[in-house]
Amino acid sequence: MKDGNQIGVYICHCGTNIARTVDIQEVAGFARSLPGVAVVREYKYMCSDPGQALIKEDIKSERLTHVVVASCSPLMHEETFRGACEDAGLNRFLFQMSNIREQCSWVHHERSEATEKAKRLIAAAVRRVAQHRPLLRQEVPVRGEALVVGAGIAGIEAALRLADSGRHVYLVEKESSIGGHMARFDKTFPTLDCAACILTPKMVTVGQHPNITLLTLSAVEEVKGFVGNFHVKVHQHARYVTADCTGCGECEKVCPCVHPNDFDLLGSTRKAIYRSFPQAIPNAYVIEKRGVPMCEETCPIHTRTQGYVNLIAHGDFTGALKVIRDVNPFPASLGRVCHHPCEDRCQRGYHDESLAICALKRFVADREIELGLSPEPVRPEPNGRKVAVVGSGPAGLTGAYDLARKGYAITIFEKYGKPGGLMRTGIPPFRLPREILDREVAHVLAHGVELRLNTPLGESGVTIESLKEDGFDAILLALGTTKGRDLGIPGEHLVGVVNCLDYLREANLHDRAETGRRVAVVGGGNAAVDAARTALRHGAENVMILYRRTREEMPAIGAEIEAAKHEGVELHFLVNPVELRVGPSGRLNRVRCQKMRLGQPDEGGRRRPIPIDGEYVEFEIDQVILAISQLPDLDFLVKDKDFDLTKWATLRADPYTCETGKLGVFAAGDAVTGPSTVVEAMASGRQAATAVDLYLHGEDLDILRQESHRPQELPLMDHVRRPDLPRKPRARIPVNHGAGISFEEVERTFTREQAMEEAARCLVCGGCSDCRICSDACDREAIDHLMADTVHELDVGAIVVATGFEPYDVRKLPRYGYGRHDDVITALEFERMCHASGPTGGRITTKKGEAPKTVAILHCIGSRDESHLEYCSRVCCMYSLKFAHLVREHTGAEVYNFYIDIRAFGKGYEEFYKRLLREGVHFIRGKAAEVTAVAESPEEEGKLMVVAEDTLLGITRRVPAELVILSAGLAPRKDSSDVAHVFSLGCAQGGFFLEKHPKLAPVDTPTEGIFLAGACQGPKDIPDSVAQGSAAAAGALVLMDRGKVVLEPIRAVIREERCGGCKLCVASCPFGAVEYDAERSISRVVRELCHGCGTCAAGCPSGAATQENFEDTQILAEIEGALAV
Amino acid sequence: MISPGQKVYAYFPGCSLETTNKAYDSSTRNVAKVLGVEMVELADWNCCGATAYLSIDDGRAMVLSARNLALSEGQSRDLVTVCSGCYVVLHKANHRFQEDPQLRDRVREALKAGGMDYRGTVRVRHFLDVVVNDLGKEAIERHVVRRLEGLRVACYYGCQITRPYAEFDDAEFPESMDRLMGWLGATPVDFQLKTKCCSGMLMTTQQDVGLDAAGKLLREARRAGADCISTACPLCQVNLEAYQDKISDRAGADSHIPVLYFTQLLGTALGLGNRELALGDSLTRVEPMLAARLEAP
Repeated sequence: MKDGNQIGVYICHCGTNIARTVDIQEVAGFARSLPGVAVVREYKYMCSDPGQALIKEDIKSERLTHVVVASCSPLMHEETFRGACEDAGLNRFLFQMSNIREQCSWVHHERSEATEKAKRLIAAAVRRVAQHRPLLRQEVPVRGEALVVGAGIAGIEAALRLADSGRHVYLVEKESSIGGHMARFDKTFPTLDCAACILTPKMVTVGQHPNITLLTLSAVEEVKGFVGNFHVKVHQHARYVTADCTGCGECEKVCPCVHPNDFDLLGSTRKAIYRSFPQAIPNAYVIEKRGVPMCEETCPIHTRTQGYVNLIAHGDFTGALKVIRDVNPFPASLGRVCHHPCEDRCQRGYHDESLAICALKRFVADREIELGLSPEPVRPEPNGRKVAVVGSGPAGLTGAYDLARKGYAITIFEKYGKPGGLMRTGIPPFRLPREILDREVAHVLAHGVELRLNTPLGESGVTIESLKEDGFDAILLALGTTKGRDLGIPGEHLVGVVNCLDYLREANLHDRAETGRRVAVVGGGNAAVDAARTALRHGAENVMILYRRTREEMPAIGAEIEAAKHEGVELHFLVNPVELRVGPSGRLNRVRCQKMRLGQPDEGGRRRPIPIDGEYVEFEIDQVILAISQLPDLDFLVKDKDFDLTKWATLRADPYTCETGKLGVFAAGDAVTGPSTVVEAMASGRQAATAVDLYLHGEDLDILRQESHRPQELPLMDHVRRPDLPRKPRARIPVNHGAGISFEEVERTFTREQAMEEAARCLVCGGCSDCRICSDACDREAIDHLMADTVHELDVGAIVVATGFEPYDVRKLPRYGYGRHDDVITALEFERMCHASGPTGGRITTKKGEAPKTVAILHCIGSRDESHLEYCSRVCCMYSLKFAHLVREHTGAEVYNFYIDIRAFGKGYEEFYKRLLREGVHFIRGKAAEVTAVAESPEEEGKLMVVAEDTLLGITRRVPAELVILSAGLAPRKDSSDVAHVFSLGCAQGGFFLEKHPKLAPVDTPTEGIFLAGACQGPKDIPDSVAQGSAAAAGALVLMDRGKVVLEPIRAVIREERCGGCKLCVASCPFGAVEYDAERSISRVVRELCHGCGTCAAGCPSGAATQENFEDTQILAEIEGALAV
Repeated sequence: MISPGQKVYAYFPGCSLETTNKAYDSSTRNVAKVLGVEMVELADWNCCGATAYLSIDDGRAMVLSARNLALSEGQSRDLVTVCSGCYVVLHKANHRFQEDPQLRDRVREALKAGGMDYRGTVRVRHFLDVVVNDLGKEAIERHVVRRLEGLRVACYYGCQITRPYAEFDDAEFPESMDRLMGWLGATPVDFQLKTKCCSGMLMTTQQDVGLDAAGKLLREARRAGADCISTACPLCQVNLEAYQDKISDRAGADSHIPVLYFTQLLGTALGLGNRELALGDSLTRVEPMLAARLEAP
């Protein structure tokens, strides 16, 4: 104990509250005996002005150094007595309060016990206060802006109040329009005003208010800082429609994508571009984009698949083709030969079968040909730059197409006499008819592209140097692969052994392939299958494919393998040729193969073939076509040391920028990537064209190096798992059985009806199909499909949380048959049914479209139920009464209300109930047990029966009803715990936010500066929500008008000299208020962020972290005081 | 310590499977054999505790029940029963054992007298749960040799299998058996009374009430177009199959419909014969119905 302490002890009688059970005189006498105590006084009401005056007087006259008041809980009057000390010139923290009321007189009956305890409590306080040190409070300014989260009626009210008083308000709303639940209601109880009539004027004011910044489609992601100085991060999802939208609705008319309407419910639908309701604020439309669907994500050239598929479904075939041609000059060709990875992860496949996307592409392209239409080339103003493209395969042609559409003058140099690369020399005409290919190459050339045939890269044609001399600003090499790889086995150079590429080229270009009688094709790719089928057509009697793995690992397209089998090609698996042998005539007549088995998967994921020792098999043949792999012919190019080969003998080029070693020369396609499919080569050509364009604009190519994002599967559409979506397998691709084994094309195209029906199977899992025809329909050019999300960083002084509720999910109560019986609907569905702009236009009707003659309204669905919501949802009785009135008014039907109690507690509510009784509505006291369609008597046949125990009559009632309305309770929003976490709120009743005090601080929260309003705090009707909105605004205004807040000094401090830098405090601080100073290896408390919870002090192993006014010495002294009587 | 993926279980047949419901026992054992599930009968098992005894002296009933649990505990296996009554009583004993310390002490003391102990670790399962959730769709479909194509089944769960303990399915609207029937190729009908009371023991004490309750179920199954009712409880089975003449007379409406255990339908799809499934024990026209509805094996 310090010397020279002059402690004053003041004991309060609290009328008789304390004095009745505690012997005040005895306690006072005891207090006088305590060391350091200079003055002891007792008084009837210490908190009164005369009581406080006693203290102030003594501080001055007796020169008190510390003060102890023994009275009630510090929650009641600590502030009062601290203020008194301060008034008298004593630091407010040299004071300690001892609670001898709540913790003593009120809980003890024995006077002696209570007196004894009061003594101990006072001794503890006296010991403790002697250790107190003066502390200073800090004042910080309060920002003048406010944040209101949630724009239902409570949030709207709060925002308007704040804005009207001249404060700037950020109003954040998750949906596309403000209005919340109230915007969906028809009438309001008990006055029966039209909800829209009283709500929309407020909504309009919000939309126009100069002091309100409205952020729709937004959510608060992070709140940092402290009262008066919050820093808030808001994520705003793109609307894809700008503020220029006038809401004319032309876009909605043309949009092909239909989705369930979550606003109107009852099975109604809306388009992907929509507006929830006519009076929405903002009035702009919004596009629902769920993300990039897998069909587009997996397409190497990222075709907007759902865009063209949905246009096909609506018969806009020209529009569909336009979507395809944005990225793809070869719709008819790719529609035939693509390996269509788009179909692999189609969401429709989770329900029945994936969409036949590739065949749909073919359909629109073929239809154009059939109608004799020609696509219009895009011919912008020439930009004066020349680009040479070497090679006219899919990579070269796509590069040329892209660059020509950007205004470049393109010349293509082709080695052979016809353009098309492997599309012509590799793919046989029975898969890709020549006139189709010619037509699509012609379309590329129609973009002003010049084609020079028979012009190889080399001395006989053009060289890099000659092209540069000819004034080309950039060169794109798309040389492809023209050489076959050897097997490296004995006999490979015998007559009768031919490389697949040479064989197919001769057949496809010149129609004169030398073909044996018995042909073995070695390999499992598309080239092998094409060669085998070609050989059949060139007179081979017997064709076999030898493959060293199994059918499962074959890289060729499945349908092609099946076609080959169908045509009679034999498939031999797990065999690897090791020797080609000659017969007696000296000609090739046998292939000897090692038998194989499958081992572990290789890095590509395919199982590796392993030889089985000593097991061989021989096949009799007279021709072998090697289709192992393909290589580019780069002999000429590599004479220039700027060009370099990879270890796979392909041309080295930057994988992102396509740059080769020589400036201005880019490379793409199979020559760089090795053998690939047509669409993959096109993607490579596109990548190079993009690089060329950037290069010629003098831009940094490094932007191409940004790692592309990982494809993310979109969440499954709700109806994928819904049993009521009819299963409908994909349309079968027609086959030309008449073709036989000829050069005629085998597969055929869909009919118009087949195509439209197949396209309609698309679930549009992307939300919006991205066809973009709405952009064409919009006169105001207000649609921006490429709009990005925004993150707003806001600084605000106060926050009002008004995030509302959600109706309880009635599916959790199967006994009421929701989802099984059509005419069992929820309260919200009934609200929309009554609403003039709802799905039935305000008509109350059964699913069959008839006006119901009996309607049952079931109260307390989910509410007051131990297994569901334990509480009363407070509004259901009244809205059920409103429903009863509306049903009577609209239809004259008999209405039965099944209730437990009628809770008509508000102003005018009981009167409304009486009115309903007079209107002839039936009230049955008893909670409905079930809704059943099982008849117990012939009269019940075919009817929905509501079963309940009528507790007034004491019998079980079975009441028939043509329409049953489930008055579901109000539940916390599903994301309420996330919201609570963001705003540091407490939750009760399964997720409703906790107020600071249920009676005296209903809109405050324990976190100063954050207020609650409306149903997020508990079930509430409209008048109460509005009242809370106003109250919360008033709370925020009090803060702002004061202009500053005082930060209590009861905060953590870390004594540097003791801190070992273990960072335990950094990890344990729930407010992120402890920082680690790496340079000095110590932790430090950011005072403004510290809430004074003491977690760090409790956890600090070295005792460096302490909490002001709760130091160890102070707490120990208090304990000693309590024990040492 | 007990993993849900295990394929070895302790089997608790219960008293009715040794008397009135032998067909349920043999069909269960034979189905398990085909499915590769080892069901080792709990050695020296005794009465499950019985629902009726619980209401007379629940302490003693619990001790009875806990003795079975104690026997099972040493084996680290789930205790599987096909009787919904045994299932609910054993479950209740387990729950009460956890929740009520006084009862726990009493039970352990009683067990100690017999040289036994129970620590509360046994998981009690219904065989339907094992089939649907431990084995699952693929394993079942793999074993199906005679699809029940075209057979319309009213799946009847009764009360005790999901109430009060909705351990593996929804309390009010269970669907496990419907799913199982779908896997077997049968069509489960929309049977709205799937969890309504079969009348339980009232059939013997208040037969009027019992006949009416069971009658409702039979007629609703017929109305829903079912060829048969599939049950998962021996008492339900008896109440539904044994009184159909009486019920028809009383209601003045034909209330006949074949009733069989879900294990018998499962066994039929797995290719088991009428003898292995004891279809001949049935009091309803089960065999003719199956013969008429299904293709011959």
